[in-house]
This record gives sequence, structure tokens and C-alpha cells, in this order.
Amino acid sequence: MVAWFEQNGLLLGLALLDGLAYAALVFLVAVGLNLVFGVLRILNVAHGSLYAIGAYTAASLGIALAAGGLGPWASLVALVVAAAVVGAVLGPLIEGLILRRIYGQEEVLQLLVTFALFMILEDVQKLVWGVQPVHHDAGLRWLGTVDVPFGGDVIPFTAYQLYVLPGVALLTLAGLAWFLRRTLTGRVIVAVTTDREAATAMGIDARRVFLLTFTFGAALAALGGALSSPTAALVPGIGAQTIVLSFAVVAIAGLGQIEGAALSALMIGLGRSIAVYFAPEFEVVMPYLIMVAVLLVRPQGLFGTTETRRV
Amino acid sequence: MPDALALEGVSVDIAGVAVLRRVSLHVPPGGRVALIGRNGAGKTTTLRTLMGLLPVREGRVLAAGEDVTATPAHHRPRLGIGYAPEDRRLFGSFSVQDNLLLPAQVLRLPAEETRRRLDAVLALLPELRDLAPRRAAGLSGGQGKMVALGRALMVGTRAVLLDEPFQGLAPALALRYAEALRRLHEGLPDVAILITESNPELLRPLVESTFAIERGEIIPA
Repeated sequence: MVAWFEQNGLLLGLALLDGLAYAALVFLVAVGLNLVFGVLRILNVAHGSLYAIGAYTAASLGIALAAGGLGPWASLVALVVAAAVVGAVLGPLIEGLILRRIYGQEEVLQLLVTFALFMILEDVQKLVWGVQPVHHDAGLRWLGTVDVPFGGDVIPFTAYQLYVLPGVALLTLAGLAWFLRRTLTGRVIVAVTTDREAATAMGIDARRVFLLTFTFGAALAALGGALSSPTAALVPGIGAQTIVLSFAVVAIAGLGQIEGAALSALMIGLGRSIAVYFAPEFEVVMPYLIMVAVLLVRPQGLFGTTETRRV
Repeated sequence: MPDALALEGVSVDIAGVAVLRRVSLHVPPGGRVALIGRNGAGKTTTLRTLMGLLPVREGRVLAAGEDVTATPAHHRPRLGIGYAPEDRRLFGSFSVQDNLLLPAQVLRLPAEETRRRLDAVLALLPELRDLAPRRAAGLSGGQGKMVALGRALMVGTRAVLLDEPFQGLAPALALRYAEALRRLHEGLPDVAILITESNPELLRPLVESTFAIERGEIIPA
């Protein structure tokens, strides 16, 4: 054990740090997916496209701002602005033009429609940004690296991944919990999640809640994508990879759970990065192994309950 | 004075199947009306139609004499119509108090009006006072029915629709519920009550008129 640690300690430390940063991104996307599913009862496959478009938009905006002579801080601001713009534009557009027509329809139809939307958005993304990798990390490089002490070693890690990503994820988690429990709009969202018809009979306009929730969920997906953009080159296919991981997170957490989404994103993020460093051949299946293991023990998910659903 | 609530020749289809056929039903202001029928006869559909939760194929829905057939479901509570669905359907993660207050908050009632209604509900259903801080998911069936009635009364200044409230209640609880309905009629005589039930004997002492429904049609009671 000690010998193993001496040999692999650095690798393990790197895997943990990487996993934490990755979990933060996965959480942002998955919690949006979970919120949207809880309220609209539609499993939105195109949620991954919103992540990808958020990432590309952030990179393009950052590149444009840098070309315009603004400092690297502008690239960081661009991440949040891009996410807000993508959510505010595509959210209402998709909800109003497409989803509104399929509420209450059969699940198969809903899945096919959102899958079709996913395919369309993938092609739109290729039309706009092409298939060559897009990369812009001025903001990440500007924040520099931090030396993280780990078991006698020192691991240099980017401050962006060490502080910014987990920080934003934690803020989102706390903000969302506060919003859903303490504000009227949040409680209305919880009420619709619990029982749409009973909520309507209390005077709640479910349509408005759907629009609001979907836009908010879209912005969270776009935020996840935007924040990921400085850490890796963007290529076609990141949307698909993300949606599949988010499904796993939601399945592990239990539908409608936000704290559960945070914990299961952490499990998947760490599991995946440990696999990357120690057993790379398992990287792709790791999230599903974790998912299967959890669902074998708790079929309703870690925090899901069968009778009452909580956000 | 026009009826608090009325259906005039209303037909409703669910998934292409006719569930209500030309149903006409009248609830006078402050009246206590029973809708009796077997399971699947169309009782719940009738109440959901009054709440605007189902599209009407033909006929009219009236509230205080006004045609509200096209009024969206979420505007019906604004007309003073409260609804206690079968199975309570409380918001499980909220406290009992928050379940009661949510409709008032959604309707943006002024604080003193909310306070006044809450006090009236608590005076009618004193057991809710002790339950107020408890999580709704942890209530027993009987307690839940009381909360559902209270929640319906928070918006139902003109009428409350109670869907099989006696279903599954132990005899002692059923008596207490019936007692609460009697107090409701005395305390808030302007509020009309439409109540569904499969056993006609149970409601007889509580109501002034009875409609019977069978296979989606009103039949002579």
C-alpha cells in the first residue's frame, strides 16, 4: 500500500483534482437536465447540444474580445455572458416552437423529437463553427497555476480548474437550493414538479413555469459548456458525450434531486478521472459501472423516493 | 342569484373516449350538493372539468352565471373555486402551513386577506394548527384530507369541490370530517360545496341536493 502510494501518489492526486473539476462541469449540466425533467417531464436529449453551443459561443466570444484588444479577464466574463445569451435565446425558442407541442404526449415521441432536435443542433453547430478544433484559454492561463501539496509531493494545477469550476458549481448548488426553497417562484417550480394538476388548481400557470424552467435549465447547460471551453479544445461530439454522462448522473441521483445531482456528479467525475489515470480502457464505461452499481442497490436512485418527489 | 357553479350540456372526451355526455349540474350559491356514482362513472372528470383541467367538447361551464368554458385552468382559483382532489395531492416537501399558504401567495392576495382566510380555515379545522409545521409527506391519510380541505378553502371563497373525501377514511375520522363540513356550512354559509361519493347514504344528512352520474350521464337520483 505504502509502496503503491509512493509510486502512484502524484497520479492519484492529479486524478482527484481533475475529477473534482470535471465533476463541477458535469453537475452544472446534469442539474439543469434534472430540473427540466422534473418540471416538464421531458427527457431532453438536446440538453447536450446546449452545452456544446454554450462552449463554442464562449470560445468565439472570448476570441473576438481578445482580438478587440480586451485583456484576458474579458475572456472569463465572456464565459458567463455566453451562457446567459445561449440560455435566453435558445431556451424560449426551443420551448415555444418545439416542446410546447409535445407536452403530455407519449414518451417515445418526446424522446424522438428531442433526439431529432439534438441532431439538428449538432449540424447547426458544425455549420457555424466547422469541424476543426476551436480553442481559447486566455482566461485560464491568465489565472495561472497553483502548487497543490499532496502527500509530500506538489502538484501544479490551474487555478481555474482548482477554484473557479468547483466554486461556480458550489455557488450554483447553494443558490439553487435557496431559490427553490425560499422564493415564491422556486416553490412554484417545486409544486409543479410534485403535481402539475394540483399546482394548476392552486392558480399556478404551468406553461409559464415550463418556459421559465426550460430557459433556466438551458442556461445551466450552456454555463457548463462555457466553463469547460478553456480546459479543452472544442470538437464535434462533445454534446453527445455530455448528455450521456448527464443521464447517468440523473439516474444515480434520482429525478428531481439537486443535492443528489451534486453527489452523483462527484462520483462520476472522480470515477471517470481515476479510470483515466489508472485504467484508461475503462474511461468510457466507468460512469455506467457506477450507475449500475447504485441502481442495483437503490433502483429509485440515491435520493429518489417512490412516493414523493422533491426538487 | 345565479348558480355558484353550473355545467350545461357538457361533453368531455379523454383520449377519444366519451367520459361525460351532456352533463348538466347546478350548484346554487352556498348550496351543498352531492354527486354520486360508482368508480369510473365520471365524478372526478366532472370536477376536473369544472376546474378547467380537461377540454370541453360541447356545452358550457358557468361560474356565478358567467361562461368560463374557455377560462384557463389556472384562472379558476381566481374565480373563488377551490379543489381538493382525490388522494389529497399535497406538496409533500412543503410544511402543512406552506401547503395552505401557497395558493394565497400564487394569487398574490394581500397579507391581511391571507391572514383572514388562514384564520378562518384554522377556526374550522382546529387540528391543522398542530399540524402546521409538519411536512405534508409525513401526514396520515386522514390528516392529509383535512389539509387538502383547508387548502381548497384558502381559494374557495365561492365554492369548493371535494373529490371523494370519505374514501379510505376510518369511521372515526369520517365522522370528524363530516363534522368539519357541517361547521364549514355554518361558518362560511356563502361557500357552496360540491362533494363526490360512491355511497349515497353517507352524504344524505350533509347535503341539500344530489345528482347521480352513471357512465358519464346524469341520471335521476
